[in-house]
Amino acid sequence: MRKFILNKDKKESNPTPEQIKRQKDFSRLHHDYEKLTKRGKKPLYQDPKLFMLLLIIGILLLLVFLENKE
Amino acid sequence: MLRKKNIQSLPESEVIALAKKQSRYFGVLYDRYFDQIFRFVFKKLGGQEDLAGDITQQAFMKAMANIEKYEDRGLPFSSWLYRIAQNEVLMYFRKAKKNFVVAIDENKVIDLAGEANISCSMSMDDQEKLIEMLNKLNEDQVELIELRFFQELSFKEIADIYNITEANAKMRTYRILERIGKTWNKEK
Repeated sequence: MRKFILNKDKKESNPTPEQIKRQKDFSRLHHDYEKLTKRGKKPLYQDPKLFMLLLIIGILLLLVFLENKE
Repeated sequence: MLRKKNIQSLPESEVIALAKKQSRYFGVLYDRYFDQIFRFVFKKLGGQEDLAGDITQQAFMKAMANIEKYEDRGLPFSSWLYRIAQNEVLMYFRKAKKNFVVAIDENKVIDLAGEANISCSMSMDDQEKLIEMLNKLNEDQVELIELRFFQELSFKEIADIYNITEANAKMRTYRILERIGKTWNKEK
């Protein structure tokens, strides 16, 4: 928590323009935001529905190929 | 595509509408309000620059993530940002286990004493005693006193942050001051 004391040392309570400039960085904020919100694509092995669909398509293509061969 | 210069000249409501569609337009709002929000957080933390910088960034991050939910109800956009920043600081205080020391200027203590009907010719001891009384107030009361006297916000700005009327902000502040004044006179 906070504790107030009397400013006996006459310390400046406002930030200086240099301090503000040092902390102001929209590109960092935007980069962090993008990193947080834009999740990477799920790998195929972690998506069972897509995996099954591709497997079925693969089997069908194989069957068609074998049928034509005969 | 809009150029940054053109966007900066747009009215605030249009910039907000653009920021709702694309996060990079939020940069205009960031440029406009960063300084005052950073100053606000910096003072609350007793001048810890890096920590104030991190908390201000966190507050803007939340604002950016929630800009779609922002509705213009006739209050300045800055009051919404102040509210987010204030919540971020309070959350940080609750999480952090250490005490933060915030140094208050003599003239601000004297202003506060004047408003609480306490003698304006205050010795150092008196000022320290008054600050001790502030340290005993609850969180909500301290917040109001701080916004008014240490952050030097107007009653209108305080009212906008709390989403209350200006008269209500004034009444709440003066009730606390009255209590401080009464306690002071009782102890003297």
